[in-house]
Amino acid sequence: MAVLDPVSKNYGKMKNYVNGEWVESESSKVLDIRDPSTTEVIGQVPLSTKEETRAAIDAAHDSWWSWRETAPGDRTRCFFKLKTIMEREYENIARIISQEQGKTIDDARGETRRCIDNIDVAAGITSLQMGYNLEDGAASNIDEEVIISPMGVFAAVCPFNFPGMVPFWFWPYAVATGNMFIVKPSEQVPMTSQYMFRLIDQAGFPPGTISLVNGREDAVNTFFDHKDVRGISFVGSTPVAKWIYKTAGEKGKRVQAQGGAKNSLIIMPDAVLDKTVNNMLSSFYGCAGQRCLAGSNMIAIGDVAEPLLKKWLEASRNLKVGRGLDESSQMGPVVSAAAKEKVLGYIQKGVDEGAKLLLDGRGIKVPGYEKGHFIGPTVFDDVTPDMAIAKEEIFGPVVCFHRMKNLDEAIEFTHKSPFGNAASIYTQNGKWAREFRYRTQCGNIGINVGIAAAMAYFPFAGYKDSFFGDLHGQGKDAIKFFTDRKVVITRWF
Amino acid sequence: MVESEFPEITTFGTLVRFALELERVAAAVNEELASDPSCAAGAGTFRGLAENHRARIALLEETRREKLNEAVLEPISDIKGSDYLIGTDVPKGAGVKASAEFAARAEDTSARFYMDTARIAKSILHGAVRTLERMAKENLSNKAKLEAL
Repeated sequence: MAVLDPVSKNYGKMKNYVNGEWVESESSKVLDIRDPSTTEVIGQVPLSTKEETRAAIDAAHDSWWSWRETAPGDRTRCFFKLKTIMEREYENIARIISQEQGKTIDDARGETRRCIDNIDVAAGITSLQMGYNLEDGAASNIDEEVIISPMGVFAAVCPFNFPGMVPFWFWPYAVATGNMFIVKPSEQVPMTSQYMFRLIDQAGFPPGTISLVNGREDAVNTFFDHKDVRGISFVGSTPVAKWIYKTAGEKGKRVQAQGGAKNSLIIMPDAVLDKTVNNMLSSFYGCAGQRCLAGSNMIAIGDVAEPLLKKWLEASRNLKVGRGLDESSQMGPVVSAAAKEKVLGYIQKGVDEGAKLLLDGRGIKVPGYEKGHFIGPTVFDDVTPDMAIAKEEIFGPVVCFHRMKNLDEAIEFTHKSPFGNAASIYTQNGKWAREFRYRTQCGNIGINVGIAAAMAYFPFAGYKDSFFGDLHGQGKDAIKFFTDRKVVITRWF
Repeated sequence: MVESEFPEITTFGTLVRFALELERVAAAVNEELASDPSCAAGAGTFRGLAENHRARIALLEETRREKLNEAVLEPISDIKGSDYLIGTDVPKGAGVKASAEFAARAEDTSARFYMDTARIAKSILHGAVRTLERMAKENLSNKAKLEAL
């Protein structure tokens, strides 16, 4: 089947979007952006300076009061307009995501939908931001009320695996509630945000409401150092999430920092095997395993192990690996040479630790894309809980197959992990499912669902080292994160 | 002869791509029949059907845009595209009756495709079932129009 045309073969040098205008960075540090399937250069990204980042924050702060005074009903009009534009541009957005990140076009289409879903929810801000009151709440003839008010300028530091969706977990809620927002996309995948901001530019948000700053540590450090940045949203690895949480906390800023994961999928003896295998394929191999909700440990309980493994291997071997823009591909490459090297390192580590490599994706060749960062489906058997591949985040299409006696043992295993992002169980037994849901210390739980990804109106949760902070992205949590509560007690003489 | 490129159906995305190709081919087939002088008596019907199939492309694209999310990237292995290929070798000068039979066979095959895929969608993408069933019904209605020629 034909490969879809990319929106462009080269997107040139990325610009910043500050105070409603496109601005060329004057930074001397510029990185190439490469298509992970071809490794060809498809654009450049500047690493903006501290001064440029500061200017974006200042501009946002200067315009804040005007946006804060804009009635919520008027704010929503920009969101409705943006939604219309994004629906029209849906396919282009998806193709850019696929091209720069590597994921399959359907995966990218799904991600694009998630972006629009968040716009849909944020457009309901006239209801979501309502406060509450109580007549005579303080005493007779003295009323008390709570106003949910915006706070100022917020910023997000975004990861490479979801260049479209992750910024949309945050900025729509911040802006809808009357704040200003600055997005710093991953320097590995900045093109989706560049395109999104062209659409945002058409939606009628006043200058400074939402800004784009390309860059790396200088931009992030400036977010910390600037007094007018009230909070930071982050998604990435656990060490960086921890550092962001600590540093931003020390500077008195709000933080929501999503970290890494090591997700277990538990297959009970009564699982509906064919459907379970199909469902798990997209969990383990979707986005080439570079999802914080991706399955990593597959835990077979009791005698389901052999038939499950047989079916799993067969399905894994049949998976078509190829360029994301090829609609027949079921798995694309990982994002970069460095990412590939890291995953290959883990595969070697698994071999060295004594796990049995049943399916080795290291040598895969994709015709026409020989230089691409592809790794085929990889399956280890005889993985034990003490192995590094069972404990650490690999972020690639590597399956660690475990055999355990019962659900207790599996839950205990998930609890030993420092991570608590997601876990799933496959069963037809309500008691087991309930037991799993009740006891498992993870933020996102799937029951016969391998990717327990919260819809926009629910928070994207996470426990333990998978999340630092208390209010998550999306939904009501996001509304709370980007607002403060003002209590007003009123008495008239 | 209408050119076609039907993909292998491996996921919901490729299923939609297959359906889009079915519609594109059906539109082109009906358009060719409408411009065949031997089919002048049925030209209006053929042209209307071509228009209908073009409109269905937009409906399918909308379904994909609205219903596809990462939770439904599950592989599909129990449907073979080769069972649903429609004729692309459009008869020339065969007259309205034979041409209508040719087009009706395509409608019948498409109806079968949408009914079967609606069954599959029930387990992986329930939100798309109604669209697929509606498409199947429309194919059967199109077939009836052709049989009346």
